[in-house]
Parts: sequence; C-alpha cells; structure tokens
Amino acid sequence: MTVYLSLSGVLFLIGLHGFFTARSLLRRLLALNVLTTAVFLLFVVLARLAEPLDPVPHAIVLTGIVVTVSTTAVALALVVRIAGRVRDEDDDAAAGPRGDAG
Amino acid sequence: MIPETTGPVVLFSLPLAAAIVVFIRPRWSVPVTLGSGGILLATALWVVVAVLRQGPWRQDIGGWTAPLGIGWTVDGLSAALLLLNASVGLAGAVFHAARPAARTPVRDPRFFWPLWLFLWGGLNALFLAADLFNIYVALEFVSIASVGLIGLAGGSAQAAAWRYLLATLLGSTIYLLGVALLYGRYAALDVALLAESVEPELVTVVAAALMTLGLLLKAAVFPLHFWLPAAHGRAPPAVSAVLSAVVIAAAYYLLVRLWFGPFAPLLGPGVATLLGLLGAAAVLWGGLQALLQRHLKMLIAYSTVSQLGYGLLVFPLAAAGAVQLAWTGAVMLVVAHGLAKAALFLAAGAIVLRHGIGRLEALGGDQQGAVVAWVAFAIASASLVGLPPTGGFVGKWWLAQAALATGGYFWLAVLMLGTAFTAGYLWRALQAAMRPGWETEGGFQALSPALGLSALGLALGSAALGLAAPIAARLLDAGSGVVG
Amino acid sequence: MGVAGVIFDGLLALALVWLAWQATRAADLFHAVVSFIVFGLLMALAWVRLEAPDIALAEAAIGAGATGALLLSALDRLATRDGYHRVLYEPTTAWGFWIPAGGALLGGLTLAAWKLPAPGLGEEVLASLKLSGVDHPVTAVLLNFRALDTLLEIGVLLLAAVTIWSLGRAPSPLVPAMPSPALPALGRLLFPVFVLVAAYLLWRGSHAPGGAFPAGAVLGAGAILMLLAGARPWIRSSEHGPWRWILSLGLAMLLAAAVTGSLSGLAFFEYPRGAAGPMILLLEVAAGLSIALLLFALYLRGEPCEHGYREVGS
Repeated sequence: MTVYLSLSGVLFLIGLHGFFTARSLLRRLLALNVLTTAVFLLFVVLARLAEPLDPVPHAIVLTGIVVTVSTTAVALALVVRIAGRVRDEDDDAAAGPRGDAG
Repeated sequence: MIPETTGPVVLFSLPLAAAIVVFIRPRWSVPVTLGSGGILLATALWVVVAVLRQGPWRQDIGGWTAPLGIGWTVDGLSAALLLLNASVGLAGAVFHAARPAARTPVRDPRFFWPLWLFLWGGLNALFLAADLFNIYVALEFVSIASVGLIGLAGGSAQAAAWRYLLATLLGSTIYLLGVALLYGRYAALDVALLAESVEPELVTVVAAALMTLGLLLKAAVFPLHFWLPAAHGRAPPAVSAVLSAVVIAAAYYLLVRLWFGPFAPLLGPGVATLLGLLGAAAVLWGGLQALLQRHLKMLIAYSTVSQLGYGLLVFPLAAAGAVQLAWTGAVMLVVAHGLAKAALFLAAGAIVLRHGIGRLEALGGDQQGAVVAWVAFAIASASLVGLPPTGGFVGKWWLAQAALATGGYFWLAVLMLGTAFTAGYLWRALQAAMRPGWETEGGFQALSPALGLSALGLALGSAALGLAAPIAARLLDAGSGVVG
Repeated sequence: MGVAGVIFDGLLALALVWLAWQATRAADLFHAVVSFIVFGLLMALAWVRLEAPDIALAEAAIGAGATGALLLSALDRLATRDGYHRVLYEPTTAWGFWIPAGGALLGGLTLAAWKLPAPGLGEEVLASLKLSGVDHPVTAVLLNFRALDTLLEIGVLLLAAVTIWSLGRAPSPLVPAMPSPALPALGRLLFPVFVLVAAYLLWRGSHAPGGAFPAGAVLGAGAILMLLAGARPWIRSSEHGPWRWILSLGLAMLLAAAVTGSLSGLAFFEYPRGAAGPMILLLEVAAGLSIALLLFALYLRGEPCEHGYREVGS
C-alpha cells in the first residue's frame, strides 16, 4: 500500500505544481483533475487499509468522480466560449475600425 | 401540529423541485420562483422561531445515525444563514423579475431561473449539512450554479466566471484532501462526532490547515481574494447580490463551524492570530481598493473583501477568552453584511440600469425615479458602516466589547480603521448621486418600483437586525457549537 | 501479494507519475490530453489493484472515456480558433510563490498520512447491510446510508447540464472532423455492446460490484462514442418535447423518494419498512439512466437545437 500512498502524494504535488505554473487554461484543468485523482486515491487506499474493506470511501469516490466530470464539463464549455469570443474580437479588429462611423 | 423537522425538509427539497419545474416549463418561472420563495422565507422564519423556542436539534437522514448515515444540524448559526439566504433569494428574484428587459446584460434569461433556484437549494443543503463529504458535494453544487449565473452576463463575465471556477474548484479539492485525512484517522465524517473524538495531533493539524486553506480561498480572504471583484462586479445585479451576501458567507460559515467544532482544541493563540491578521489585512486592503474604484459595482465588490475580514476577527478574540461576545458579534456582522450588501448590489443594479452606465462620475443628475434605490443604498450603507441602531452597529459593538474585554487593542484599531474606510467609499458613492450627471442619450430608463423596493426591503432588514439584537444574541447562542 | 504484485504496483505507479507529468507539462496540448486519457485508463488498473472494481469501471468510463472525449472535442474546437494562443497563453501571475508552500504542505501531508490507523466503517456497514435492502455494500452506502450525497450528485449533473445550456447553443456540426474512417463503423458495432454491458452491470449491482453508477457511466460513454462515430445528437431542448422531463427524471425521483419518507412519518429519505429493496432498485435504474443521459448532454457543450439538427455538410 505504501506504493499507492506515495503515489497519491506525488500526484498531488504534480497537480499542484501544474495548476500554479501552467499558462494554458486547459492545462490548469488537467492539473486540477490530477489533483482530484490524488485525493480519490488517498480515500481508496484508506478503504483498503481498513479491516474489513471499507465501502464508504468507495461510494465517496464514485460520487466524487461524477461531480468532477460535471465541473470539468462546465469548465471546458466556458473555455471554448471564451476562446470563441476572443476569436470574434480578433476578427473585428482585423476587419478594421467598426463601421458605425457615428 | 407539524413537527419542526419538516422545516429543513422543505428548505432542502422545495428549491430543487422548483428548479426542476422551471427548467421543464420556463414560462412558469416567475410565479413558481416567487411562490416557492415566499414559502421558503416563511419556512426559514419558522425554523428560526423553532430554534429560539426549543433550542437546536439534529436530524438523521434516512433513519441512519452517524457515523454510517448523514445528518442535518439546525442551530442558531445555520438558522440565521438559512433566513439570510431566503431573504436575499426572494429579494433577488423580485428584482430580476421586475428588471427592464432592454438593458439587462443577461443574454439568455431562460436559464436564470433554474440556476437561481439550484443555487438557493445548494446553499440550503450546505447550511443544513453536518457531514463533511456532504458539504463537499454541496460546495460543488453551489460553485457550478454560481458559475452559471455569473456567466449569464456574457462577455468578460465569462472570463471572470472561469477564474472563479478554477479558484473555487481548487479550494474544494484541498478541502476534500483534509476530509480524507480526518476520515482515515477517525472513521467519521460527521462534524459533531468528530468534535467528540478529535485529538490535537499532526493529522488533525494538517487536515485543519488544508480545509481552512480551501475555505479561505472560497471565502476570498485576502490574499486569496483575486478572483472575487471581477466575478461579483460583472455578474447580473441579483447574482452579485447573492454571491456577495450568501455564497461568501457560506464559506465563512464552514470556517466557523469547523473551528468552533472539531478543530476547537487546535485554536491556539498562534493560529487565531494568523487568521485574525488575514482578516485585518482584508479589511484594510479591500477598503483601500474600494476607495480607488471608479465603477459603482466594483466598489461594492471590493467592499465584500473588506467586510468579510471582520468576520475573521472572531478567531483572535475568541482565543483570547471572549468567546461568546466575539462569536455573536462576528456572526451578527456577517449576517447584517449579507443583507446590507445584497441591498447595495440591488440598489446599484437599479441605478446602473437607469443610467445605462456604471461609472461613479456618471451617476449624478436628475434622481427622480431612483429615489427609493438611493434611500435603500443609504440605509444599507449606514448598516455597513455601523451606525446605530443597525445590525452592523450591534455586530461591531459586540466585537469591540470583546476586544476591550481581552485587551485586544490592535483588533479594536482595525475595527475603527476599517469603519473609516467603509464610510469613505460609501460616501463617495452617495456623493455621486448629488452631482450633476452626464447627459444620457435617450434619457433615463424607466424602472419598475419593485427594483428599488427589493433593495429597500433588504436594507431595512439589515437595519432592523439592530433592533432585534437581543433576539439575535439568543438565537446565535442556541447551541452554536460554542462550548462555554 | 507476492513479489510480482509489488513490481507491478511499482511500475504502474511510475507510469502514472510519468503520465500525470506529461498531462500537466507536455509542450504540446494534444499530447497532454492524450496523456491524461491514458492516465485515466491506468488509474482504472490501480483501482482494480486496490480492490475497488466499481471505481475502476467508473474511472474507465468517466475518467478516461467521457472526460477524454470532452477534452478532445474542446481541444479540437480551440485549435480551429485564431484566438487560441491569446487565451491559452495568459501571463502567469505570482503563482511561483505558491510552489514552496505546496512543497511544505506535501511534507506535512506525507508525515500525517504515513501512519493513519484507517479504522474505517466496514464493520458498521456490514452490521446494517441486512436492513439496507441490498446485498452489495457500496450500493447500500450510495443509495441508502448516504443517499443524500447521491441526490446532490445527480443534482450536480443536471445543474452542470443546465449551466452548459445557459452558455449558448451547442456548436453545429458537433463533430467537425473525423479522426479515423474506421470509427463510425466501430462505433455502431460497439454501441450494442455498451448497452449490454451497462444492463449487466446494473443487474449485478445489487449483490456484486457494478450497479447504477458504473452502468450509467458506461452507457453514457457509449452514447458519446456513437456521437463521435457520426450519429446526430438526439437530445432536444424544446419546452414541448420530452427531453427536459427525461433529463430531470433522476433528480425528481430521488427527491420524491426522499420526501416520501417525511410524508409517511419517517425520517427524510427513510424508506418504508420492507420497501427498501424495490425502491432502491427503481432509484438505481433512474439514477443510472440519468447519469448516462446527462453525461451525454454535458458532451454537447451547449444547448442543443430546439427541434432538430441540420444535416451535417448540407
């Protein structure tokens, strides 16, 4: 179990590092997902260490996985909208000054 | 006679059920939201009265007791926040229903109502929950609903929503790691159960540090406040109101719940002073930033960073011995701030809608038609500054007494200086009303009186809280986890 | 466990660390996303090694499958935008400050987590399992002991779908370019398999690993695969159609079950005596279907058309 406990810690650090240093929006999201996985891993290791096998962390992680995919989906939808808006602004800029001439 | 345990059931289920209804039948949005909002406000009042009458209680969900099952706690603290949520929820809904369609930035208003009700339900679930993982799910629920509501304003609000989403998700993940550690050590997730079994040892300290860090990020406590002003400043008015008044208070609520519950043995002078210093820095930095803002809504948003700092003063004052006074004072201040801040945002929303522009220097000129909104703004300002007899005054008074009783003159100075800042930036806003304004092309937007009235209702509530101070003190003392 | 097991775990852990590093650090975004998907698949193996087959199934279907599909299609969307670089390369703020703090945190964390006693609630769950109405402990926790979590979780899914709809219309066409010509055929071939696997998991769930959550996840992932294979999304957002009802059904049923307890004089979410088994089965089916449909709805990245999609390419 030591292996998985260490893995959880290392993944947490990688996620944290990625989150704070990544420059791209999408990558921050990936880092956040790695971070969450590290926490889930800790839960499941704890379940495995318990005697008898503890189903409560399993249920917690199942719930957590569904919650995480929901937040990830919302975040991705936002990223795509934000990128789209920037593109539109760029298009406007490329088309020259706005034609309202008011 | 309906048992009082029905109250939380209604508070939990009704907003979610109503959200489903208005998602399926958007045409019924306004009547369903206002109708269920009225019921929810009445139910929250009923719960408050029940707590006053017979003290706090606990409800087991599904008939399973902790540690296996999940429970709800209803005490003075949660009842006060449930009532705050219902008041702001209803006032915001009235505002949004009465807003003029033309100048509203909400691009796709059809989805405002389900998101609004979902947020309402998520917050109620959070205030009731007594289980650390259930709180996590409720936190995520609240985050997504908030993000959706901020994003409704479109444009740059979506970028603000993104920043908020990342900050809040990071906060909940760090919080969850702390929960995992606590579970691994004590095999319990229930707050009350943990409060009985927690030992002051390394695991608990690390878990407490993680959960506190996560929640500080969600509460936008200085220096983790970077995401707040844009998100709260750019959202539609009703959304800014609920975010600043209730969503921020929810993270603060959890901090207080934990530190005066399971983590109470860890609350030594060092930790308490650290949290207090963060609060002091927030009070001063947020106040300074608010003074420098040129946009009315951004000014109010920075004020939230500042005002929440007061709430953190509870930790050093309680650790120094004045538990009761500091506790009631800080919670009173946070609730009074919630009502006043929501009133400010709604009033500002009405004023900005009327002028079609939010810059301070443009808000002068003819104020006919915005009188009610400005009156609401003034009353809410009085409460925020802490003029007697408002709720803000009583909260600050109690905190000041706690500081005097324990010789905490530094905290007293912070309280005074913060008050001066608050008076300064709110005066700047009120002054704007008296100056000659810019000519607005096409004149002012005509507004429904309901806009100003929704703000006025909240502002009066915040002021009346001061008159009800003895009742509030009794409510907050009702088994709030404060061990004598 | 034996030496082989230890070696396997070690290699798996190393691979996971490498993939996580790639996912957060790789220079190329596509590379990062693919690393993340493979990371999810290998995590499923790790869950199996930790005796958590339910989580392994959910991770493979959701963590790798649905999230992977979401990431890839977002990437595709972003890559075709001119604004890509401006948005994706925002200047870093003073985050560097947080790295030492994170290191210190990890140090404390390791010290704290190293010798956790992990008493667990296994015995309590087993003691109450007979009263729960199901035989499989994880299902009992999810739909009886901690059913409130599950209600909120389904709520989060529905809320996420509504939030995504509120951001705007779904892009059309949804699948711009076909990465592989073999995919449509493969997708159509595989979809019935996904349905069968989901049904099997659901049926098994009351007494063995499986159940609504993995089943719903597998079904949702299958539906997304169909979409990738060129099928047109069939969800409509019209107020008159059935889709809003269907998407809300899971949450509505869980709420109704919860309130039934209160109305019949029991605690909130308490099942009437003797009815726990059938009610849980019913809720499981509803929750599983909800998970599948809502995962699919999340994938659309916007409000679907009200009445129907134009033919792609027409």
